[in-house]
Amino acid sequence: MTPNAKTGITLAVLCAAFSALTLGFLSGSGQTQWKRPAIPLVDTNFLDRSTTRKSYADLVRAGEDLSDFDCYACHDKKKPPPLRLDTNGNILVAKEHSDIVMGHGQHGRNNNCFNCHNENNLVLLQPRDGRELKFEDSPKLCGSCHGPTYRDWEAGAHGRTSGYWDRSKGPIERKACVNCHNPHSPRFPSRKPAPGPHPLREIGLNAGPQTGQE
Amino acid sequence: MGRRSFLRASAVLATGLAALAASLKPLLDMNDFPTLQRFLQKYYKEMTPQDMARVLKRIEDEVQQQYGLRPHVRDLKPMNGVEFVYCLNLTRCIGCRKCVHACVAENNESRNPEIQYIRVLRLPDGSLDIDKAEHFYAPESVPEKGYFYMPVQCQQCKNPPCVKVCPVHATWQEDDGITVVDYDWCIGCRYCEAACPYWARRFNFTKPSIPKERLNLDMAYLGNRPRRQGVMEKCHFCIQRTRIGRYPACVEVCPAGARKFGNILDPNSEVSYILRSKRVFIQLKEELGTSPRFFYYFDV
Repeated sequence: MTPNAKTGITLAVLCAAFSALTLGFLSGSGQTQWKRPAIPLVDTNFLDRSTTRKSYADLVRAGEDLSDFDCYACHDKKKPPPLRLDTNGNILVAKEHSDIVMGHGQHGRNNNCFNCHNENNLVLLQPRDGRELKFEDSPKLCGSCHGPTYRDWEAGAHGRTSGYWDRSKGPIERKACVNCHNPHSPRFPSRKPAPGPHPLREIGLNAGPQTGQE
Repeated sequence: MGRRSFLRASAVLATGLAALAASLKPLLDMNDFPTLQRFLQKYYKEMTPQDMARVLKRIEDEVQQQYGLRPHVRDLKPMNGVEFVYCLNLTRCIGCRKCVHACVAENNESRNPEIQYIRVLRLPDGSLDIDKAEHFYAPESVPEKGYFYMPVQCQQCKNPPCVKVCPVHATWQEDDGITVVDYDWCIGCRYCEAACPYWARRFNFTKPSIPKERLNLDMAYLGNRPRRQGVMEKCHFCIQRTRIGRYPACVEVCPAGARKFGNILDPNSEVSYILRSKRVFIQLKEELGTSPRFFYYFDV
């Protein structure tokens, strides 16, 4: 075989190989269309910026039903309501107030209604120092026992802040204690977490093309 | 030229041209060619206000073309006498991940593939060993007994390693302490991602997908405008909110009030109060000397 013929054969083989590859690529065979598995959009509840509860001040502002706070619709002004405890010293909540679950303080130690409510005037709150506070002023009542937390809250370090950090541009929005804590059972409630990141192994990247829908 | 050599040469030429065409075929699928205007765009810091106005209009047009909605894109500059600091209360964080999704919604992050600036780590009580962290946790309810949660996002370092490695100066630290990325200048080399010790930078491996109805139309040039494929992004303290005086989205959505944000140069701000009077606070990986502006603290 002459060198010339060898070159010719090599060229022909290379041309054939490249032509085959070209045809393959242009016709699109050899590449599988991989469709990305769907990831469900997050529930908009998780984007909600409202607090867990509404304070009395919020209800007043929103013009909502305040009948829950109208104590003397049922109670008698002249007769302070009685306080009933079981033999273990746990409070027995009257059935008219069955929506209240007492759980304030470790081991239910703060279980006397009149530690906070004024028994002689039920629409007022009364810290131990004898001040009389309206429901709107409830943080001061909480602060009468939870001093350091109240100090942090006043400085903006405890509790939610929203609105404007720059007070010259707009108002800062502060929340009251009862916007997040139920005063009768103040421990912050646990909740369902928002979905975490979807790991590739879970959405089926390893499972190959067009399989493994989540 | 003889007939034989002519045939040979033309066969080789035809094959070569066809192969070239095949190799360029993927370009047909590319629908994100830079316009001439974007191609000739100047560096951010060299743009005149007129240049910037033109660029903002171009971005608004592009978004409108793609999503059918007209956004409002602004170029916000740092405010005088402001340095942002973030404080996060590890005692209060319950690991509910609302911040993650509020951030995704606010900053137009890709939903599929997922890009999330905040990663909430779950750590066993009594240790700050990041090796024991888990961020795929999915219990019925949080907080779980025996664990605490540590959200990690861009720490806005005073000495940022990501800025040092950028070969094209597409990322830099602004006067208010925010490290920003110019998505039009980024070449996608991902050096910054490798340099960041907090895994805070995210890369757009594909074109981001954002449902039209969830697009946030209040945009900033260095902030939450939609990104392209092949560029880096990360937390920018919600530049489109914080530079007009508002709180970032993650602060406003936190149900536990664990997130605190403000101006450290203002002695009356809550972050000043926290750094001054809270008893314990840490900077994540402070031994690296990055000096984060993101502080973790505890209620003691």
